[in-house]
Amino acid sequence: MKNHKEEEIWIGGKDLGSDPEFLKTAGNEFTDTPLYETMGEATESESYKTDRRDFLKYLGFGLGAATVASCDIPVKKALPYVVKPDTIVPGIPNYYASSYVNGGDFCSVLVKTREGRPIKIEGNSLSSVSMGGTSARAQAYVLSLYDTNRFKGPIARDGEKGFAASTWDAIDAAVKSNLNGNSRIAIISNSILSPTTKKAIARFKSSFPNTKHVSYDPVSSSAMLLANEATFGSKVIPDYRFDKANVIVSFGADFLGTWISPIEYARQYAKNRVIKDVDNASMSKHVQIENGMSLTGSNADNRILVKPSQQGAAIAALCNLLGGSGSGPSLPKEIMDSLRVLADELKGARGKALVVSNSNNVSEQILVNKINDVLGSYGNTISFAHPSMQRQGIDSDMNDLIADMNAGRIDAVMVYGANPAYDFPGSSFADAFAKVDFKLSFAQSNDETTALCDYVAPDHHGLESWGDAEPKLGHCHLIQPTINPLFNTRQAQTSLLTWAGEKLDYYDYLKSNWTQNILGGGSWDKALHDGFHNSGASYSAGAFSANVGNALSNVSKPNSSDLEINFYETVHMGNGQFANNPWLMEMPDPVTRTSWGNILHVPVKFNGVRKFIGFNDLEDGDTVTLTVNGVAQTAVVVQQFGQMPGTVSLSLGYGREVGGKSAVGYGTNVNPWLTTDANGLTQYYATDVAVSGKTGEDDDFASVQYHHTMGVKDVNTAGEEVVADELATGTLVKGFEGSLTNRSIIRRTHIADVKEFVHHLHEERHHFEHLNEQTLYPYDEYKEDLYDQGHHWGMHVDLNACIGCGACTVACIAENNVPIVGKHEVHRHHEMTWLRIDRYFYGDADNPNTVYQPMMCQHCDNAPCENVCPVNATNHSSEGLNQMAYNRCVGTRYCANNCPYKVRRFNWLDYTTADLWPSNEPELTKSDELPFGADNLTRMVLNPDVTVRSRGVIEKCSFCTQRIQSGKLVAKKEGRRLEDRDVRTACQTACPTGAITFGDTNNKKGQLSKKLRSPLNYVVLEEVNTRSSVNYSAKLINKIEKLDA
Amino acid sequence: MKSRSTGPALGGVEERWADYPQEDLYAWIRNSSSLIDAGHPRATELWNEWKPTVMQAFNELTDDDIASLLTYIQGVNDGTYPPQVAGTPGAEVTVEQNNNWIYYVVFGILSILALFLTRMISNLGRIVTKEETGVLQPSKTIVESLTSKSVISFLLFALVLIGGYTTVKNGIAWGRQQNYAPEQPIKFSHETHAGMQGIDCQYCHDGARRSKHAVIPAANTCMNCHSAVTKGSLHGTAEISKIYASVGFDPNTLKYIDNYENMSEDEIAKIYKKWIGDSYMSDAGVESLGREGERIVKEQWDGIVSSLTSDLKPSVYGPIPWTRIHNLPDHVYFNHAQHVSIGKVECQQCHGAVEEMEILEQYAPLSMGWCINCHRETEVQFVGNEYYNSYEKYHNELSDGSREKVTVEDIGGLECQKCHY
Repeated sequence: MKNHKEEEIWIGGKDLGSDPEFLKTAGNEFTDTPLYETMGEATESESYKTDRRDFLKYLGFGLGAATVASCDIPVKKALPYVVKPDTIVPGIPNYYASSYVNGGDFCSVLVKTREGRPIKIEGNSLSSVSMGGTSARAQAYVLSLYDTNRFKGPIARDGEKGFAASTWDAIDAAVKSNLNGNSRIAIISNSILSPTTKKAIARFKSSFPNTKHVSYDPVSSSAMLLANEATFGSKVIPDYRFDKANVIVSFGADFLGTWISPIEYARQYAKNRVIKDVDNASMSKHVQIENGMSLTGSNADNRILVKPSQQGAAIAALCNLLGGSGSGPSLPKEIMDSLRVLADELKGARGKALVVSNSNNVSEQILVNKINDVLGSYGNTISFAHPSMQRQGIDSDMNDLIADMNAGRIDAVMVYGANPAYDFPGSSFADAFAKVDFKLSFAQSNDETTALCDYVAPDHHGLESWGDAEPKLGHCHLIQPTINPLFNTRQAQTSLLTWAGEKLDYYDYLKSNWTQNILGGGSWDKALHDGFHNSGASYSAGAFSANVGNALSNVSKPNSSDLEINFYETVHMGNGQFANNPWLMEMPDPVTRTSWGNILHVPVKFNGVRKFIGFNDLEDGDTVTLTVNGVAQTAVVVQQFGQMPGTVSLSLGYGREVGGKSAVGYGTNVNPWLTTDANGLTQYYATDVAVSGKTGEDDDFASVQYHHTMGVKDVNTAGEEVVADELATGTLVKGFEGSLTNRSIIRRTHIADVKEFVHHLHEERHHFEHLNEQTLYPYDEYKEDLYDQGHHWGMHVDLNACIGCGACTVACIAENNVPIVGKHEVHRHHEMTWLRIDRYFYGDADNPNTVYQPMMCQHCDNAPCENVCPVNATNHSSEGLNQMAYNRCVGTRYCANNCPYKVRRFNWLDYTTADLWPSNEPELTKSDELPFGADNLTRMVLNPDVTVRSRGVIEKCSFCTQRIQSGKLVAKKEGRRLEDRDVRTACQTACPTGAITFGDTNNKKGQLSKKLRSPLNYVVLEEVNTRSSVNYSAKLINKIEKLDA
Repeated sequence: MKSRSTGPALGGVEERWADYPQEDLYAWIRNSSSLIDAGHPRATELWNEWKPTVMQAFNELTDDDIASLLTYIQGVNDGTYPPQVAGTPGAEVTVEQNNNWIYYVVFGILSILALFLTRMISNLGRIVTKEETGVLQPSKTIVESLTSKSVISFLLFALVLIGGYTTVKNGIAWGRQQNYAPEQPIKFSHETHAGMQGIDCQYCHDGARRSKHAVIPAANTCMNCHSAVTKGSLHGTAEISKIYASVGFDPNTLKYIDNYENMSEDEIAKIYKKWIGDSYMSDAGVESLGREGERIVKEQWDGIVSSLTSDLKPSVYGPIPWTRIHNLPDHVYFNHAQHVSIGKVECQQCHGAVEEMEILEQYAPLSMGWCINCHRETEVQFVGNEYYNSYEKYHNELSDGSREKVTVEDIGGLECQKCHY
C-alpha cells in the first residue's frame, strides 16, 4: 500500500492518519485533563474547589508551619565504622565482578557498591559471553535485591491459617522427618547454568537416591535441543555467530531481545550492521519471517509475514527450495514467491548465511538444521565447540512429572527458582502439585507455586550469594556476594547440602569444585577478579544426519482459521519472572510502547482516505473479550503496524495472581491458553481465536506511543504540509528561516543509495547552517570564545547499532534515581524517564520498517528551554551542559513547553516522598501505601551522588553529570588529561551494541571525535538552530527490494 | 607522666635512680640498650619488666639538655610547672572606646531641629491662613502631629520595610549553623590532638584526600594510639574508656576482648568498672575505692552507657554516635578530595583553627555565597597538573601576560551543576 510519500515517517495510526484529536493534543506539551479527573477517583469535583477562607487557612498554616519547621534544626548523627574495612572508603564506589543469572538468562556484570550497598549493574567487558553488554533485565537486577516482597525468613504452613514464620532448625527438622532414603523426590527448576549447583544437586541425590531433577524453561526451546540430538547426537544448543553471517534469516526467533543469549547475539549482530566506511559501505541482510512484529523483526531489513500455523510450512518450503527433495504443506503464492527470492539470497551467501527459528516443533528444527547444513553454516556461522547451556529444559519431562504426581508416585517436590504453577502451560500443574505430600519452595518472594507449598526455605538473592554459571561450555563465570544477606535467608545449595548431611560453607564447596574441575591450575583470585575463567573445555558434535523426509511430513500444518494468535516473550517481562520489578513493569515494550500490562496487538488497515482502522474497528486502549480455545479473558488492544492481517499477538508474562504490588493485577495471563504438540512440547500460538468488538476501555491505558511527540506532519486546509505544533500555535510562513516545517527527526536510506544520500544530507545540513547563521549572535564566535577549551561534552548515537532493547533506559533510571510513577500516572503522560527510545515506522504501511531513536536531552548550545526560565533554574555551563538546578526551579514548566525534543519531565506529584510536606502525597496511591520505591528498603538502591527530586520541579537528562565530575576528579588526581574511559554515561555502558558514544568533543583524539567525523551524521531538528550536542548517524537498511515487489 | 604506659611513668624518675650515680641515669636516657648490655642492675631490672620494648636512643642529647628535661619532668610531676601568672588574668584589659554616643547625640539634635522646623512651617502656614482668611486656627499639639495620618503611614511603611528586610535576611540564613558546637558523646579535644600533639588532620580524616567525605575516623583509628595511651590529660579514664567500650578493648590487659559483641551489659560493665576503679586507686594512691572512688566509677560508667547507647542501639558495643556538625543540604554535592588534593586548600580555611578548638564548632557559614566568593577569588593550581592542559587558551594568555591568573570561576566554578545534581 503506497498511500503516502516515500519520505514519511510515523509513530502510529493516529499521526499517519492525522487523527484531529491527536493533532490537537500533540501540539500541547501537557495533556489538559480536567482537574477533577487528574485528582484520581474524585467524583465530586466540588470538594476540590478552594474558597477564599480555605485559601487564607492554607496560607496561614503554610506560614506557621514553615516557621516552626525551620526553627528547629534537627541534630544529625554521623556513625563511623567501629573497625573500618580497608577496602571501603566512604564516598568511593567499589566494583565487584559477578554474574546476573535468572534461569537461562545470563549476563556477566560488575556490581557497583557504595559503602557496601549494591546500587548499579554495569557490564563486564572482559567476559567472553556478554562482552560488556547488558540487558534491561540485568540492569533491573539490583532493584530486585531490595524487593519489599522478599521473604524475611523461613516459613511453614500452619494448618488452615496459612503461612507462618518458622526457623531454619524447624525447616531442617521437617525435611528430616518427612524425607528418607526411599522418598521419591522431584526437584523442579528452570535451566541451571551453575556447574556447582548441579554438583550440589547430585550430592543431594546421593543421600536421597530416588530424587529426580526436572528442568524446564519458562519459554521453551526444547525442540532445538531434541532436534540437535536427532541430527547431531547432542542435546545442546550450538554457538551462533551472527557477526559472521551476511544473510540472517529468522523464523520468529527474537534473537536480539529474548532468544537464548540476546546480549551476545545483539553485539555480534551490530558488528555487521554498523557502517564503518561510507565509501565501501557493507552490512548484513536480515530477513525475519513472523506474524507479529518482534523486537528482532522490527530491526530486520525485510519481514515476510506468515501466520503462526504457516511457519512450519514456510521452513519446509525453504528447505525444499534449497535443495530438499521432499514435499511440505502448501503455502499461499505470495509467501512462496518471497521464499524463492530468499532462497536465492541464501544460496548466494553459502558459508556466510545463518538461519534460526524459535519453533518448538522438533521436525521444524530438524529442517532448520538441514537448511543450515545445506548452506554450509556449520563450522562457519554455527559451531558446536562451545555450545550454549542457556536452555536445557525439556517440556515433556515436566509432563511426565505431572503424570507421576497425579499417580501418587512422587512423595516430595522442591521448587528451585521456577514458578510452574504460573508459567507452565495449561493448568494441569497446580492440580497435580496438590497431590504431593511434601512441597517445599526455595523462592525469594511469594509466587503462584510457592503459595501452594508447605514450606518455604527462601534462597539468598544472587547479589548476596556465592555461585557460578557456565552459559557456554568452557566459559565459566563466578557470582560473588556484594552485600550481607538482608534477611534471614539461606542459600538453596546450602539447604540441599545440609539436608544431604554435609556441614560446610557453600563458598568452600564452590571453591573446591572450581579448583578441582574448572580452574585447571588457574588462579582463583584472578577468576574472581575478572568474574570468569575460560576453562577451555570444548565439545565436538557428530556430522549431520537426519530423516529429512520424515521431518518434512511432520511440520505443523497450516490452519485455515480466519484469525490466529501468537504468544511471545517481551524483552523486559520474560514469562513473568520480572513482574515484581517496577523498573521493568514501567519500561515500555519497545515495539508497542505500552507499559504495565500486555496488550493485544491487532492489525491496522488503510481505509483509503488517510485513515487507519484497527481490526474490528478497535482503537488503542479498547478492551475486548479474547477467546482462545474456548476460554475467554479480557484483553486491552493496541493497533500495531506490521501485524499480519488475520493474526493478533499477545505477550507472555502478565496477569500474575500472586506476587508483589507491581506484579498482581496487570494484564492477561496467557499461559492457560498454551497447548502442547504431539511430542508434548509447548506451542506458542493458537488457531482457535475470536476477538470481540469493543467492550469497554482501559481507564489507565499506559501507552507512551503518542507521548512527547516531536512534531507531527499534517496537511492544513490549504493543502500545505505543516507540523501539528503549528496548527496549535498559529501558522508560520512556509520557508521562514528556522521554521518548524520539514522537521529532520529521522534520516534513513538504503545502503545502495548511501552516496547519493550523503550528498543530499550534506546539502541539506549546509542549507540549515546557512539559515542558522542569519543571527545577531553568531554561534561560531561565541563557541570559540566559550567552548573551544576545557571540555565540551557531546554524544553520538548510531541508529544502525541501536536495536531498541531498552537496556539504556533502565540503566538511566538506576543511575539517576528516576522515579517510577505507576500505571495511572503513565496513562496521564507523567512517566519520568530521562531517556526514551522513540520508535518510528517508515516505508510500506502494511509491512513497515522501523527505526529506534534514543532521545534524551540534547544539551543544546542555543537551548530554547534556557531563555524562557523566569528564575534561571536551567542554564548553560562552560562545558556545554544544559544544567538543571532543582532547588531553583519553581515549576513554571515553560522550559518543557519550549523544548523541541520533549525531553523535560515534571514531577507532578511527590513520586519519591522527598517532599517536605507529606500532604503533597495523596491521590498518588490508594490509602496509605507509599509510591513505588519510596520505602526505606527500596531506597537503598538510590545513587547517593544524585539528588532525589521532590514535587514541583522539572528534571531531565544531565549527561550523567555526576559521572563527568567524578571522572574529571580521577584525571586531576592522577595529573593527566581526561580520557574517554574516565567518563562514560550510564546509557553508554549499558548498551549491548555500543550504539551510544559519549565524550569530550574538544578531545580530538577521542572515540567521540572519531565518530563525529562520520558523513552519515545529522542533528535532530538542526533547522531550529538549537545547536544540539548530540549527533545521530543515519539509519541504513539493506532491504532486498525483490522481496517487496 | 604519672602512669605507666609503654614504659615506666616519667614522673619520679630521679627518685627511682637515686641509688645510682647521676651519670648512669644520663647514660640510660641517652642510650638504654647499651646500659642493658653493660648489665647495669637497674637497667636489667627495667628490661626484664618491659622487654622487648626499648626506648629510642638519643645520643645527641647533651648533659644540659637532659638536666633541663629532668627539671621539666620534675616540675610537671609535682605541679610547680608551668608557673602561675601573677595577678588575675584580664585585669589589665582596657575598656574599648565606644563612640556610638556621638551618633545618638547627633540624631537627637537633628530630631529636635526637625521638630522645630516643622513647628515653624506649620506656624508660618497658620499665619498665612490668618492673613488670607482672618481666622487663626488653633495650633496642633505634639500628640496631634505625631498621630497624624502622614506620620502613621510613614511609620507603617518603615515597619514593613524593616520587617521585610529582616525576614528575608533571616530567611536566607535559615538552616545555617555557623558556630554550631554541639556536645559530643566523647569530649574529644581537637586542641589536644591536632594542636598539642600535632597530629595531621588527614591522619584521622583520611577520606579528605581521596573521597567526597573527609570521614569521621572509625574507632579502630583511635585505637592506633589509644591502645597505649589509656588515660587522657583532661578527663583521665572517663572519655577514652568510651572508645574501649565501643570496640571491645580491655585496658586492664591491653588486649581486645573475644566475643565482645555477644557479651551482656553486666559483663561489659565489670571490665570497665574495674579499669576505672583501678586507675582511680593508682592515681589517688589509695588501696580501696572508698565512697569517692565508687562515685567516680559509677559516674564514668553511666557516662559510657549514655554516650554510646540509644533507643536503636541498646549495647555499648558498636559505632560511636558523633553529632554531625557540618551539614550541607541534600542538594549540594561537595567533594573534599577536589579541594584538598587538587585545590590544595588548607583544612583551616574552611574549618578554622581547629587545632585551637577544645570543643569543635562550625567555623564557616557554609552558605552558597561563602562558597561562591571563594570560587571567585581562588586561583586554580594550573601549573604541574596536566589535566588543566586542555585549557589551552588560558595557558596561552598566561604565557603572553594578558592574563594574571585563572580562578575557579574562570573554569566554570560558579556553574549550578558543579555542585547541584
